[in-house]
Parts: sequence; structure tokens; C-alpha cells
Amino acid sequence: MSTSTSGWPLLLRLGLRQDRVLAPVAVAVLVLMSVASAAATPGLYADQADRVRAAEAINASPAIVALYGPVLDVASEGELAMTKMTVLYAVFVAVLFVVVVRRHTRVEEETGRTELLGGTALGRDAPLVATAVEAVLLALALGLLTALGNTVSGLDPAGSVAFGALWAGTALVAAGIGAVTAQLSASARTCAAYAAGVVGLLFVLRAVGDTGPGWVSWLSPLGWNTQVRAYGDVRWWLLPCYAVAAIVLLGVAFRLRSRRDLGSGLVPTRPGPRTGSPRLADAFSLAVKVHSTTLVLWSVAAGALGIVFGMIAPGIGDLLDSEVAQSIIDELGGALVAAILSIVAVVLTYFAVTVVSHAGRDEQDGRAELVLATATSRGRWFAASATLALVGTAGLLAVTGAGLWIGYAAADGPGIGNLLLAALAWAPAAWVVGALAVLSLAAGLRWSVLVWAWPAAFLTLGLVGDLLELPGWLTGLSPYSHVPSLPSDAWSWGSAGGLSAVAAVLLTVAWWRFRSRDIG
Amino acid sequence: MTSSLIEVRGLVKTFGAFRALDGLDLVVGAGEVHGFLGPNGAGKSTTIRVLLGLLRKDAGEVRILGGDPWRDAATLHRRLAYVPGDVSLWPNLSGGEIVDLLIRMRGADPATSRREELIERFSLDPTKRGRAYSKGNRQKVALVAALATDPDLLILDEPTSGLDPLMEQVFNECVAEQTARGATVLLSSHILSEVDRLADRVTIIREGRVVESGRLSDLRHLSRSRIVATLSGAAPDLTGTPGVHDLAVDGSRVSCTVDPDGLPAVLSVLTAAGVTALTSTPPSLEELFLDAYRDRAGAGR
Repeated sequence: MSTSTSGWPLLLRLGLRQDRVLAPVAVAVLVLMSVASAAATPGLYADQADRVRAAEAINASPAIVALYGPVLDVASEGELAMTKMTVLYAVFVAVLFVVVVRRHTRVEEETGRTELLGGTALGRDAPLVATAVEAVLLALALGLLTALGNTVSGLDPAGSVAFGALWAGTALVAAGIGAVTAQLSASARTCAAYAAGVVGLLFVLRAVGDTGPGWVSWLSPLGWNTQVRAYGDVRWWLLPCYAVAAIVLLGVAFRLRSRRDLGSGLVPTRPGPRTGSPRLADAFSLAVKVHSTTLVLWSVAAGALGIVFGMIAPGIGDLLDSEVAQSIIDELGGALVAAILSIVAVVLTYFAVTVVSHAGRDEQDGRAELVLATATSRGRWFAASATLALVGTAGLLAVTGAGLWIGYAAADGPGIGNLLLAALAWAPAAWVVGALAVLSLAAGLRWSVLVWAWPAAFLTLGLVGDLLELPGWLTGLSPYSHVPSLPSDAWSWGSAGGLSAVAAVLLTVAWWRFRSRDIG
Repeated sequence: MTSSLIEVRGLVKTFGAFRALDGLDLVVGAGEVHGFLGPNGAGKSTTIRVLLGLLRKDAGEVRILGGDPWRDAATLHRRLAYVPGDVSLWPNLSGGEIVDLLIRMRGADPATSRREELIERFSLDPTKRGRAYSKGNRQKVALVAALATDPDLLILDEPTSGLDPLMEQVFNECVAEQTARGATVLLSSHILSEVDRLADRVTIIREGRVVESGRLSDLRHLSRSRIVATLSGAAPDLTGTPGVHDLAVDGSRVSCTVDPDGLPAVLSVLTAAGVTALTSTPPSLEELFLDAYRDRAGAGR
């Protein structure tokens, strides 16, 4: 007998096979970061009193609390060790699960592969069931490995179980968000934007709640992560709430799925223009047009993030007077603005990655062929994507910097230097990583998977490198490690010039390779 | 030879160890419709992509519109239009936007082109987004963009795949209009009836080599007719009669294929045996096609 879910085990096997690289690598990276943090903490503080002072310093800084959440039990070693992991890195967990869910639901639908399978004995809900099951399996693996890793690194076993559970819970909620947003639009990219918006909103809600009216944090599952107090007096009752939230979201997703046709979204697609604008006439204007929505959404997000943290940042001024606090903040990754920018820079590099990988898909699907069969030369096609990727990323950094500056000025912060410049200081490093992505594309389609790997690899290297005290030459491989932490450090022409030169060399090599290779 | 718009001699293209094109020749004269035939994987699309400068040749000579497609791709492409076999569109651009974009990218102006007329004739909805089009409609978008201007050369790679018979008819009319004003067309296909109707000359390829090339009338002349006869008396022995092949005798029914030279002899023998029914079918392109393969496969063994 055939039901609306029949055939899902087959799809589950297919999904696991498709994710056989992405899932293990991403889970391993996340577990490794947690383990590295857990293992490094005892070495950072001499005794219990030192730890308490550090935790109190964190709590005293609204800016740091906004970014990482408060340490609810200052006496707990685990709470301090997991400061970054509890909320901020849980966002990466969420991103992973949104990505996994989207690629097995909406992306498959948009490319028509679901339709291909729909002709077989598969039920309408089978893709969603298979994806949900995979997400649960993956969340369990992530939770168990994290709990195990943290315990082995010397943290309290019960607390580690609670911590693993809260990461798994975040993962499940994110999977639910991914499943619901995948129903909304016929465009996979628009669905991704909805999901990113929801995760961003949940992060901001808890940032507001943690620094202001406390009840707001409880609206966000990311806020629950802090409230679980994994390594303190654990609120075990909070853990089932994640499962309930995930089940509700999945239920909504199934309801929405039953109300729409395959390949369509709930938000109807408006008809497009009958004729093309005269400005849409070459490879560059095409790239801008294709990425215009993405560019607008990223700009709004970058600007809003900048303003929010710019307004919070002045709180750090009082702290900088105390010598102890100064050193603690350094240990936590430099002054707050620098810390935010170091992460924002990596995230914004993904704009460049999106543009470059889109060019790769254009080539794979034959759209590049369509363009290159016109009077558009290879050089123009190649330059269009490379230029948009690199200029766009720099532009987004500038928007972030402007946001920081506006927020900071609005909050009447003391002068701490040029925040726009502080943001732009990351552009050359982002260019190097963007240029590596371009080089991967130029090397040929089989290397295009690397396009996505570069920024994450360098981010991981930087974080793990600091915690495990890896040798300098190894951490130095990351372009991001050569950027001075403005505004606390001074602008360096050497760094900016050197990184820009490296990016230019990489782009030249990429072009040299691309001009002589086959297309498609 | 200035009258050839496409001149390919001894073209070789390898992908790793796989020899996709193995010494291929292709000459397309100005103003002709040239059918480019072959089974899937024969190398038709690979040849076209070398002609467009998308793939780099490993050996041989390739000239298109008098230039080198690898070096002068962008300049040459102003004078040609291309429709790929499997059209992929930008998901968030409308059909109308894509048509205009492709026309503009070839250096032409959509406003003075035949886009409106063609959209009408192909009954295409230009306001739909790229992702919403069916395969046939994606094909129409590419066809409208290609046929809307007056290129010297049209390169069409299985252009009617996905089109319904009505739209195929429109397509045939459009190609006829293009040739009437002097355009040259390279039409790759395995839909033989389409080529039969449109092409002046054909090149049949298999495994990256040409197996047959020439005017359709010449190829027909070279090939055998199929004769099926029902006889009143005993079947005569045609074995050993010059030009007779594939002989099969089933009681009073005889069927064979006959070389043009052998026809008079065969007919007189059959007449003498008392014919009650006789059909003679001229070779269709399908048979030319199969003949060419069979001979090549046989010679290879």
C-alpha cells in the first residue's frame, strides 16, 4: 500500500550518501572546536578565583554578553569554557542543519530531481520525512560526540551531556526552521534568505534579552542554550522544549507541504517583465541582476548587525580601565569590535563564495555556454563574477563598518578610532580567500567543492590554532591571521598591501588557467 | 575556399583517455542547411562546442566564419546565434528578460528585432520566470533569442527536442525564412525527418568520425532500395545476382535490398516469376543512417 510517506527509507539512504562528506566534516569541525575550548580553558586560568573574575568580567560587559550570552554560574569551569560555544557557535550548528534540510527539500525540488523521483512509488511527504530523520540522526551524532569530547577534555560529565543535548536541540530546531522556510518560496535562494533571517532574529532576540529585559531571551531557543546552565545547576526540564519546538515546526512544515504543489511555493511568484532592461546587457550587469536580492539582504543584515553591536560596544569602555579585564578581553579574542569583525569578515567572505559558486553552477548547467556563445568573451564572463565577489565583499564590510560607526555614535561611545577603517582592514584578507575560491573555479568544475571550504577552513584553523597553541607558520596560513585587530591595533599598510598582492597573484593564476581550459 | 562558413579538418578532441572526436571533417558552405547527424554520444555537441570556442581542440584545423573560434570567439559570435540542446535558464529572470539579454549580448537591439513576432508565433509567455518553464518552453526562449536577429550562421544543437509538432512546424518555417535571406544553418539532430525536410547536405558521424557526408540526393543514389514482392509461381533464386543483399524468401514472398545498378536485373527476374504484388521503398534517411553505421561497424570488425 502506498501512503504519502512511502519510500522515505530509500530517500534517507540517498540523502546520507549525498552528505557523506559534508556531514562528517562539519560535525567533526564543530566537535573539535568545542573540545579545543574545553581542553584549553584550565591552562588559561591559574585558579578558581581567577576564573570567577573572568566570568564576572564577561557578565559586566553588555557587549560580550550580547555576543556570547552571560555566564550564569560564575563558579563553574564548564560554563566559562563554553562561553563562545553555547550561543555563538550554536549559530554555526543551526546553519549546518538549515543547509542540510534545504538541500534535500527545496534544492531538489527546484532542480527537478524530486519530480524525477515523484514518478516512482514515492509519497508526497517522503522527502520531508527522510530529511527529518536524517536531521535527527545527525543531531544525535553531534550531541553524543560533543558530550563525549567535552567529558574526555576534563569537563563535568553530567554537564557535558546537558551541553551535547542543547547543541542537538539547537540542531533540531534549526532543522524545523529549515523545513518550514523550504515550503515558502519556489526559489531555493529565497528560502535560504528566509531561514537566515529567522536564525538571525533568534540571535538578536536573545542578545536583546540577555542585555535588557530578560524574558525576551526566553523567546529564542538560542536564549535557552544559556538558560540550560549546562555546567551549573542544570535545568533539565528545558531540554524537552527543543524537541517540542522542533516537532511543532516540522508539523507546520508538513501542513504547508500538503497545501502546495510540487515545485511551487506558498508565496506566489510574481510575473516577470515582458522585456529586459537596456542596462541588463553584459556579463557584469547579469551577475549584479542575479545577485541583487542577495546583495540587498546581506547589506541589510550587515548594516543591522553593525548598528546593534556599535550601540552595545561603548559598554566595554569602563572595562578597559581595569587591567584584569583588559587581559580577559584579550583572551576572549581581542577587543569586542575586533572580535565581532573577525567573525563578520569570515561570514561576509561567504558572499564572495556564493557569487563564485553560482558562476560554477552556471557553467555546469550550461548558462555560461549560452553567454559565451554570444559576443561576451571569456575574460568578461570571468571578470564579472570575480569583480562582483571581491568588490561586493568589500562593500559589505564597509556597510558593517558604517553600521558600527552609526550605532557607536548614537550610543555616545568614547572615541576608539575609525570603525569604518577597522571593518575595511579585513577586506584584503577576504579578497585572498575570495581569490582562492575563484582559483578553485578556474581549476575546473571538479574542484568547485573547494569554493565553499576555504573560509570555514581558515576560521577553524584560527580558532583551533589559538586554543591548541599550534605553531605560528600553521596558523599563519590563514589570511585572516594577518589582519591587525583594529581598532585596538593600528592599521598596517604591510598587511593590507601584502594580502592584496597575494590576492592579485591568485587572481592572475586563476585567469591564466581559466583562459586555456574547456568550458563545462 | 571563401564560400565555406565552417571548415573542420582532422579535428581531434580528447577528454582524458576518451577520444571524443577522432579526426572529424565538416565543411558547411555559405547559404546551405547542413544536417549534422549521429547517435547520442557520437560527438555532435563536442564538435559544436569546439566551433564555439568553448572547448580547445587537441589537433586539426577549425575555421568558422573565416576566423579561429578559440582565439576570436567574441568577435565571431557577433555574426552567429546558437541554440543548445539542453537549455538552462536563470531561475529568477523572466523569459523576456533572457531573450533581450542574449540579443543585447550579441550586439543587437531587441527593439528592432523580430522578438515580438517570434514570441507570438512560438506562443511563449515571456513573463514567466526561468525556473517555471518546461523543457519545451526553455527551448523556445533560446530559439526566439537566436532567430530574432539576422545572424550569418545559426548553430542549432537538437533545437526541437521538447517542442510539440505544432511548434516544430513553426520552427521549420523560421529556418526556411532564415535560409531564404541567405543565412547558413548547422542543424544537429537525431530526428531524421526534421533534417530530411530542411537539409541540403548532411554529415553523419559516429564515435567522433565522419561515416558519410554529401548531398542528400547523392546519398540516396548510393543507397539500396528495399524490394518486397509476392509471386504467383515459385520464388526464383536471386542468390548471386549482382547487387542483391539481405535476401529473405518466405514461401512465395521475397524481400531484399538492391543496389541501384542491380535493379533492372532483379526486376526482370521477378517479372518472369509472375509478380502479384511489388513494393519498392526508396531509402529513408533512417536507412541511410543505419546503413552508414552497419558498414562502419562491419568494416571495423
